[in-house]
Amino acid sequence: MTTAGTACPPLKIHCEDISKTFIQKGHIGVPVVRDINLDVEENEFLVVLGPGQCGKSTLLRIIAGLETPDTGYVTLDGDPVTGPGPDRGLVFQGYMLFAWETVMGNVEMGLKLRGIPKKERQAIARHYIKLVGLEDFEKHYPHQLSGGMKQRVGIARAYANSPKVMLLDEPFGQLDAQTRMYMQHETARIWEHEKRTVIFVTNNIDEALFLADRIILMEGKLPGRIKKEYVIDFPRPRDHAHKSILELRAVITAETELVL
Amino acid sequence: MSSSIANETVGTANAKEGITLHGFLTNTWFLYAVSLCGFFFLWDRVAYLQIFGDSLARPHVVAQKLYTLSQVKFAGTNLAGHIWASTQRVLIGFGLASVIAVPLGLFMSLNQHVNALVKPIFDLFKPMPPIAWVSISILWFGIGEFSKIFIIAIGTFVPCLLNAYNGIRLIEPELYDVIRVLGGNRKDEIFQVSFPASFPAIFAGLQISLSVAWTCLLAAELMNARNGMGFLIKRGMDTHDPALVLGGMVLIAAMAWLSSLLISLLERKCCPWKRSIDNL
Repeated sequence: MTTAGTACPPLKIHCEDISKTFIQKGHIGVPVVRDINLDVEENEFLVVLGPGQCGKSTLLRIIAGLETPDTGYVTLDGDPVTGPGPDRGLVFQGYMLFAWETVMGNVEMGLKLRGIPKKERQAIARHYIKLVGLEDFEKHYPHQLSGGMKQRVGIARAYANSPKVMLLDEPFGQLDAQTRMYMQHETARIWEHEKRTVIFVTNNIDEALFLADRIILMEGKLPGRIKKEYVIDFPRPRDHAHKSILELRAVITAETELVL
Repeated sequence: MSSSIANETVGTANAKEGITLHGFLTNTWFLYAVSLCGFFFLWDRVAYLQIFGDSLARPHVVAQKLYTLSQVKFAGTNLAGHIWASTQRVLIGFGLASVIAVPLGLFMSLNQHVNALVKPIFDLFKPMPPIAWVSISILWFGIGEFSKIFIIAIGTFVPCLLNAYNGIRLIEPELYDVIRVLGGNRKDEIFQVSFPASFPAIFAGLQISLSVAWTCLLAAELMNARNGMGFLIKRGMDTHDPALVLGGMVLIAAMAWLSSLLISLLERKCCPWKRSIDNL
């Protein structure tokens, strides 16, 4: 399946025929993703939607360069991806904050690793800490923050490195329903404020409908394949309970249940 | 009263205002005092009634004994001298072992070749109780200072190394992914993740080592020593002086507690990010 953009904005990410098999217990091969072809346009908010164990996180890790595909390749701005790099920011499901660093220390880490002087990098970090609404918590350690706040730090840390692409791996999976909804609004706000190409992996259909320009629906079983694709052109900011969103939700749910 | 957090806070605030009989009796400090007084009273009664014959000294006799020892020389030195003799042995043995074991443990977990080289020997010696080394070290090094330091060093080496080693091996591997995604290399992984993340485990190892160190010290000094707190205990036993034995025990416990407190303070200084647990 290919997706030729109609108006042809510049292509950011291109995945060609990606397949990956994990070897378990020495010799049993588990095919995780198979024949994934995917194009993501510049500043597009793409949501990869699928139930647990459908290979969507592996796909994201391949794009991040943390896993190498068995076949196929990924390109970013036309250049092949060979490993992880600061041009792709990753937000983890389990937050993965550095417990020994403050909020500031976490957010400035990427800039520090790239050798940017302290004053400069702290100014940049401060900007993103403010963007995610944590300006009063700069000196706090992660264990002093709530789950939602921790993931804000995760988002700010990825943003502060000014990546071309933001990859979010079920970022709100550990949050309660209320906080999750709130973080979705925050994600939309932050994205409107500083547009990036986003690939957002989730198993939550409402989250997908609220955030996405386009939804990629994965098959509900391994190996992960792309099942369907939906362009979501509802105006933003969106309302979870809007009639047309609910209609599309019913369509996608029906499609999902067929495979389950 | 329901037990929500808010109500608990209100409850604490109320308790500070007026003194009621119930409030006084359930006051934590009051209960601490009851517990300690009860213990010393029981000790004193048991000693006074000579339930263990004349082998248990009354608390004030032990205190008196320690005071006398601090004033006059006993076996060549006063009390401070005996405490210092023992402390010195612990400091040197524990210091030597930790300075070698912690870096070695870190190195083993970061480099699989070093690990493959050291691990088999380490696993061979690991289950050996440190006190088993007492006799052989006396055969090798005589009864001087060195054999005592050797036993302490051997005993503290294992927990130091093991904790540093596990401290790094138990790090969430995804944390390294974060560094790589942010643009870091292997060196950054080690310095930004491995080392800081293993700090609490290293300190836990130092705490365990320290208590092992005092145990080893006591074993070594009971075997053969001319000074030190273990010597006081041994001498008390030989001359049937229960006050001296108990005095030595109290002293060694106090020193072990004090040194563990120092490590805790050092840890708090080095890891301000660690969640603190009360009463630990």
